[in-house]
Amino acid sequence: MTKNISILSIFGVIALIVVGYNAQKMDLNLQNSSVLTGYTLIAVMLCVALLNTRKKLSMIPLGKASSWVVFHVVGGLLCVALFWVHTNTFWPRGLYEGFLAGAFYLVSLSGIFGYLLQRLNARKLTKTGIEVIYERIPLELREIQEKAEEYILECTETTGSDVLANHYLNTMVWYFQKPRFYWSILFGVGNSTVWFRTEGASVKRYLNSEELDYFRRLEELFELKILVDTHFVHQNLNKKWLLLHVPLSVGLVIMALWHLLLVEVYAL
Amino acid sequence: MAEQQIQTQPQSAGHTMARPQRWAQPFDANMTDQDVDRLLSESQLKDIDGEKFPKHIPLGGILKNDTRIAKFTPGEIVVREGDYGNSAFLVLSGKLRVVLSPSLPRDAIGRSEENTRSFFAAISQLWTSNWLPETRDTSKYSLDELMAGGSNESTRVVLQDIPTILDKHNTGAIETGALFGELAALGRIPRTATIFADEEGGSNESTRVVLQDIPTILDKHNTGAIETGALFGELAALGRIPRTATIFADEDAELLEIRWQGLRELRAYNGEWKRMIDERYRETALSAHLLESEEFGHLNDDQIKDVAGRCIFETYGSFDWYTSFQRLRSQGKSDEPVIARQGDYPDGLLMVRAGFARQTVKHGNGTKSINYLGAGNNFGLYPLYNAWKNPGAEDLALGSGLSALGYVDVVRVPASVLAEYVFPNIEQPVNTIVAASQKTVAEEALLEWAVDERFINGLQTMVIDLNSCVRCDDCVRACANSHDGNPRFRRHGKIVDNWMVANACMHCADPVCMIGCPTGAIHRSMSGGMVVINDDTCIGCGTCANSCPYENISLVQIADKQGMPVVDEATHRPIMKATKCDLCSDQLGGPACVRACPHDALKRVDFREFAH
Repeated sequence: MTKNISILSIFGVIALIVVGYNAQKMDLNLQNSSVLTGYTLIAVMLCVALLNTRKKLSMIPLGKASSWVVFHVVGGLLCVALFWVHTNTFWPRGLYEGFLAGAFYLVSLSGIFGYLLQRLNARKLTKTGIEVIYERIPLELREIQEKAEEYILECTETTGSDVLANHYLNTMVWYFQKPRFYWSILFGVGNSTVWFRTEGASVKRYLNSEELDYFRRLEELFELKILVDTHFVHQNLNKKWLLLHVPLSVGLVIMALWHLLLVEVYAL
Repeated sequence: MAEQQIQTQPQSAGHTMARPQRWAQPFDANMTDQDVDRLLSESQLKDIDGEKFPKHIPLGGILKNDTRIAKFTPGEIVVREGDYGNSAFLVLSGKLRVVLSPSLPRDAIGRSEENTRSFFAAISQLWTSNWLPETRDTSKYSLDELMAGGSNESTRVVLQDIPTILDKHNTGAIETGALFGELAALGRIPRTATIFADEEGGSNESTRVVLQDIPTILDKHNTGAIETGALFGELAALGRIPRTATIFADEDAELLEIRWQGLRELRAYNGEWKRMIDERYRETALSAHLLESEEFGHLNDDQIKDVAGRCIFETYGSFDWYTSFQRLRSQGKSDEPVIARQGDYPDGLLMVRAGFARQTVKHGNGTKSINYLGAGNNFGLYPLYNAWKNPGAEDLALGSGLSALGYVDVVRVPASVLAEYVFPNIEQPVNTIVAASQKTVAEEALLEWAVDERFINGLQTMVIDLNSCVRCDDCVRACANSHDGNPRFRRHGKIVDNWMVANACMHCADPVCMIGCPTGAIHRSMSGGMVVINDDTCIGCGTCANSCPYENISLVQIADKQGMPVVDEATHRPIMKATKCDLCSDQLGGPACVRACPHDALKRVDFREFAH
């Protein structure tokens, strides 16, 4: 894929040079080069936006989605360059144009962020050594919690002591209820392990060897939950960035078409 | 499997139907009791002792439900080379001709194309797919509909200008009473020849492809005659492999077509049929295999006959290896019968004809896999050549061992045969063991794992590179979009390193799921060789799902078009159907899952190549 991006980037650079050269020539001939750059920009934007349509039409042979993604990435970067050629500035004047530029930058940045994020997250998820389908994560967490509570009950019945049970109810149940330490996992800080070592394991001094055996089982469940939580955090982010990128892209296209209409009606 | 844990309690529903049973969908609904009586008076069948068949599978029932009488006119093709067929043929009358070599060109035998959707049919899935899961048009399950629709997968093709074919091809006759097709049906191998009807006769088939310019064809091809009483097609039918030759009618012929379920039972309950099928299996398979091999391909017919006569045909493991594999795997054990032991003196070349074998060398306290052999691979050529070239050398023992992975057919060619026909004509073979055993344990880990899990059986295995996969599930959605809203695989499976082998049908080299299907609903597609399930004839017995060692077949509860569960009219238990990946055989552009992956993480691979 990286190789394909490199190859297509060469074409992108050539296209940019051709457009830039012609725009320069038009400016020298006292013509309005914004028409050329503007129409080129919106055409590339529309083509790039077709990726989402391709995903919906997976039953017909429209080429490999990976090729479309390559085009999406290179085309998106080309749009940024064309945007600067078109506006001749980083931030255009005018309120509407300001909103348009803001939307454009947000879409571009969210796209770059999302692309890099997905590439990094894929490896982070593989490193966990387990695979969990996102939609099944609540079920997996529920199963872990039920297993933990099963151990606690068994421990109480077997040992006759409620020390571990009370500790679970007062402290540990919080952890097993739902995904925890979202940001810590996201940035790889490891607060969950610190939490378990301090708060979770604080009960160990009050347990006998039989209870400690149950505590070790809880520890294994804790470690499993860290892995499931890791999947939740990274898969969640993999999906959520699209909730920013896609609606913003739709908004940007609508705003750009309105801009085009205004230009056609009033400026030309 | 989650799908198999579906609630099966009696329930009320909006739609009921009779639960499909074995023989609920006969091979030919037009077969009558009179036909059965007539068949039982035929010379090839009259000696079969019906008393030896179990009460629930009577001989008459097999003949009525698992066979059909087909008539062929001269030139009509009976089986085509390359087709996957699930039946064998017994020649009741007439004569057929088998095209030996070279094969007839594809266009001459009217090879049918896969029935793929048109572009508009494909895109119409956007609005025609049902929002409700696993809905079916239940009217298609009625017998009348099946008969009208012609669920028969055979395509009859007709050869033109038979006299010229006879002139120019070496053909043989199959006369009345001949049974043919039994080798391919039982032997896991393709049809070895084309057989055609040689006498005038009616036909109950509708689709025919006609060979043009038969004189020229006969000029350029060797053919052989198949006479009355011959059986053919059994190797392909039972071996789940393509037919190896085209057979057409030389004159009007009447054939008894036996689907493999019936053939299997005839073989199981009648000693004479078992002997006949097994004998032909050995003879035909061996000669064909020798001719296809690199070492013996140059020999003439007499020499091949001599070699075949001196070879030993061996079988290791069990035909239904998957049952013991599943059991032993659950116990953490392995059952791999030893074919050749490292350190033993080699007495012959081992040629793998079918199945898989593991080549190992001793490493520490265990054995390390250095290779696995499939059909067409040989074992022991280097040490045998070495012994022939340097008879006085000290270390002539086998440098590696060989064990069977499941079911393996091996031809043992004695060293004396090699010395006579092979060694004088070849250069010193490469000692592959040296290079292979130099690889580190880590380098061989993927291969070792693939062999242990039997993934080497997969020809279209879904492999996902987890380092590239962003878990977006676009592959699952694309699969669902192409299958009426129902995904046919799960993005879940065994993981090694960064590779996941997902729970998607691997379209195996040895598709054990096909063994035991009572109606033949699961079969190889006629072209392409994909393993597919005919939803119309699936009775939801779960045999295939239980047989699949990889848990890649799911049973689903079906619903009618309104989404109401379809239940058995007698017991009110749900009607189930087996479902699996069909490799998008009816879709444009190949597997939708592969095309949909935005990061090229998902691939369909032949695991034998991938693991290397």
